[in-house]
Amino acid sequence: MTSTILLQQLINGISLGSLYGLVAIGYTMVYGILRLINFAHGDLLMFAAYIAIYAAALLALPWYLSFPLAVIATGLLGILLDRAAYKPLRNAPRISLLISAIGASFLLENLALVFIGGVPKAFPRPEIFDRVIPILGLRIQVLTLYTPVVTLVLLFGLLYIVFHTKVGKAMRAASKDFETTRLMGINLDRIISITFLLGSMLAAAGGIMWAMKYPQVNPFMGVFPGLKAFIAAVLGGIGNIVGAVLGGFLLGLGEILIVALVPEMAQYRDAFAFVILILVLLFRPTGIMGEPIIDKS
Amino acid sequence: MDRQKRNLLLNGVGLILLGGVLFLFSRYGSDYHIRILNNMAIFITLAVSYNLINGICGILHLGPNAFVAIGAYTAALLTMSPMEKQLNFIIQPLIWPFSAVQAPFLLSLLAGGVMATVFAFLISFPVFRVRGDYLAIVTLGFGEVIRVLCNALQGVTNGPLGLKGLSPFTNLWWSWGVAVVTVLLITRLINSSYGLAMKAIRDDETAARAMGVDPFRHLLLAFLISAFFSGVAGGLLAHLITTISPSLFTFFLTFNLLIMIVVGGLGSTTGAVLGAMLFAWGGEALRIVESPMNLGLFTIPGIPGMRMVIFSVILMVVIIFVRRGIMGQKELSWGWIFDRNPR
Amino acid sequence: MGTFFQADRLVMQFGGLTAVNEFSMTLQPGELVGLIGPNGAGKTTVFNMITGAYTPTSGDVLWQEEKITRLPVQLITARGIARTFQNIRLFNDLTVLENVMVSMHHKIRSRFWEAMLGFSRYREERRRMYEESMDYLQEMGLAHLAEEKASSLAYGQQRRLEIARALATRPRLLLLDEPAAGMNPLETMELAEMVRGLRQKYGLTIFLIEHDMKFVMGLCERIKVLDYGITIAEGTPAEIQKNPDVIKAYLGEQKNA
Repeated sequence: MTSTILLQQLINGISLGSLYGLVAIGYTMVYGILRLINFAHGDLLMFAAYIAIYAAALLALPWYLSFPLAVIATGLLGILLDRAAYKPLRNAPRISLLISAIGASFLLENLALVFIGGVPKAFPRPEIFDRVIPILGLRIQVLTLYTPVVTLVLLFGLLYIVFHTKVGKAMRAASKDFETTRLMGINLDRIISITFLLGSMLAAAGGIMWAMKYPQVNPFMGVFPGLKAFIAAVLGGIGNIVGAVLGGFLLGLGEILIVALVPEMAQYRDAFAFVILILVLLFRPTGIMGEPIIDKS
Repeated sequence: MDRQKRNLLLNGVGLILLGGVLFLFSRYGSDYHIRILNNMAIFITLAVSYNLINGICGILHLGPNAFVAIGAYTAALLTMSPMEKQLNFIIQPLIWPFSAVQAPFLLSLLAGGVMATVFAFLISFPVFRVRGDYLAIVTLGFGEVIRVLCNALQGVTNGPLGLKGLSPFTNLWWSWGVAVVTVLLITRLINSSYGLAMKAIRDDETAARAMGVDPFRHLLLAFLISAFFSGVAGGLLAHLITTISPSLFTFFLTFNLLIMIVVGGLGSTTGAVLGAMLFAWGGEALRIVESPMNLGLFTIPGIPGMRMVIFSVILMVVIIFVRRGIMGQKELSWGWIFDRNPR
Repeated sequence: MGTFFQADRLVMQFGGLTAVNEFSMTLQPGELVGLIGPNGAGKTTVFNMITGAYTPTSGDVLWQEEKITRLPVQLITARGIARTFQNIRLFNDLTVLENVMVSMHHKIRSRFWEAMLGFSRYREERRRMYEESMDYLQEMGLAHLAEEKASSLAYGQQRRLEIARALATRPRLLLLDEPAAGMNPLETMELAEMVRGLRQKYGLTIFLIEHDMKFVMGLCERIKVLDYGITIAEGTPAEIQKNPDVIKAYLGEQKNA
């Protein structure tokens, strides 16, 4: 393999990884507070892509309006998801919460199937993302370059909110100790809603870029990115936002590079992430940046 | 007459009644009815073994589709004649020894169960190192890995093409026979002190350990037994529909099983049986919503996905509003019916 | 005969925080010893280290000549050390009887298939488990509630069920974590009688944590006092009551409260 191809694959891996990272943030934030794998999180990504398509087609909005609209609408959908599927189960056994999440995921996918249909829709990629620029003898689509940049900008924006605002402080408190936070008079439902809003908006941003990268939008497109993003969150250390993005980068790079280096592995690509997950849980269950958990009896 | 003798007698009467019903259906029932009854029995076997892990041990296992897939492929590869296999495997030949062996149906079913058990044993170490949501996602991962392997290992599974033209060995006697044996054995296990230990782990693992219960041993036991019966059911399924492919054994199958045991009541074998029967019947009944409806003047086109929307809503409504499902953790037993103070 | 039970300089650190520092003690067979101290002194942490729930940062637990420091909880229970929980941890979905029967399961000799197929060896064992469990319930005055769900019991009854459940593991050393918490004075008095009776009947050694001073002073032969993870006093009830360090530790707590 020549070094240019390797470089190309590295860039592809970083681009894919940053998408995983964006989606992983939502998982990690919700898990941090509710200790729940929000199974339906990946499906929000699919909804964002559809909303962007319809906003462009029906409302004739340009991309710089349709994309933010899709992001905001998806954020609201995330809040709705929490209110409908998870809020009634705050004091229920954990297993019920997770079952509800799985139900919600199937519901979202099949609602899309019923109302939009299973035929993949082409995603109208704005021309400015189509440009190809030469770098170091490579021809690279600008979209591939924008993806990690957008991810990092959103990451720093989020970190600012989490570490420098009152809401962020309350979010961190809630993820440390749910009960005490409630006792301290913080409105937890509001904090949880904001968590879902932010996480879902990031997933939407990821979904739109995903749809531009692989411009076939169908009701089940969120399943695999969702699962892999969750694995990225575990890899980075669940509950840790920077870890989620880091885990995303590592997973994306790993997936691309393993196929690039050993082409025969291509058909096993979807299993790769799960193998990573199992290895992490076996040898370092707290992930790269996670803190050990003490179970007080 | 003491309770034990009475219960034995009642069990016998129940079995004879079931046998009579099956006989009547096998003689006079339509193909449609027989198919639903076969599905019912296989779903019962699957749901009852799935409930052993999710309901009795209280852990969310999301990979029973892997057990079913392994059972189905193993049994199918064993019952097919070498000739049929050659016809099936056109892209890549079937590897030895599968290409040469052939076994009777019963043996193939058992082999399917054993292979699923072996697989369960192999994955048990990573699976039971974690709990809760992590365990759920790891088992889901193994389910996916098996699906990927079914597609990729063309020399064993024939890849996405799957296996076609299996002999339709599964009839009402086989499917219900397996269901009855499964229900009886698993109920016995649950009512034994082994079952008590499993429920103790479900209620409070830390306390269970402090009372001398080894969680790994008991979770493993439940996992292996569940895998065995799921594998056998997979073999039955393969020889009922006579064509299998990887797309049959996705997470979707797990989702359906989850609906059955949640609706029936997590932790209740009776509930799992009821849930499976309702699902087999309801699943067929709901086919209407996905097929075109002729209302005389105009026709409503079928809506693909509608059934799953309904199923998902049912699952969520049950888990949110009637968490205990139909049965809660209760069991329907002769003692429950006849004794004032059941034991 | 060598040591029956010895805790040797047990240290437990969480992060940078030392919860228990250099905790040492020995127990002789048949002793009834109390462990007291203000809230957060690390008493339950000591229990957690002895029973294997926590692995001590350093130090060792010796039990009948054997080092059991790194054994899993269930194996320590199997060797004859049982405990109750301060924050009651019953199996809520099981009946009172089943709660006790769980504790006898680890001694079962029949294999799972014998249970599944209903072999006579299993049926015999099951019958014995039932009878013995009923005995323990009788002992703790709970026999009439055998078929009730554990979660439906009154608070004091739940505490006693915790003890019955621990007894059913057939321990030689019984650790009771605040057995009288939440009980009224009458119940507490009855409990003290029960604990004495149990020691007599089953030849137990008992090590208990309790806040009720009257209960501890009246029941225990020897008392250890823990404050901020450090042992500040040890002796007979009379000695402890006069110890200035103990009085200071408790007065300090009252002032803060």
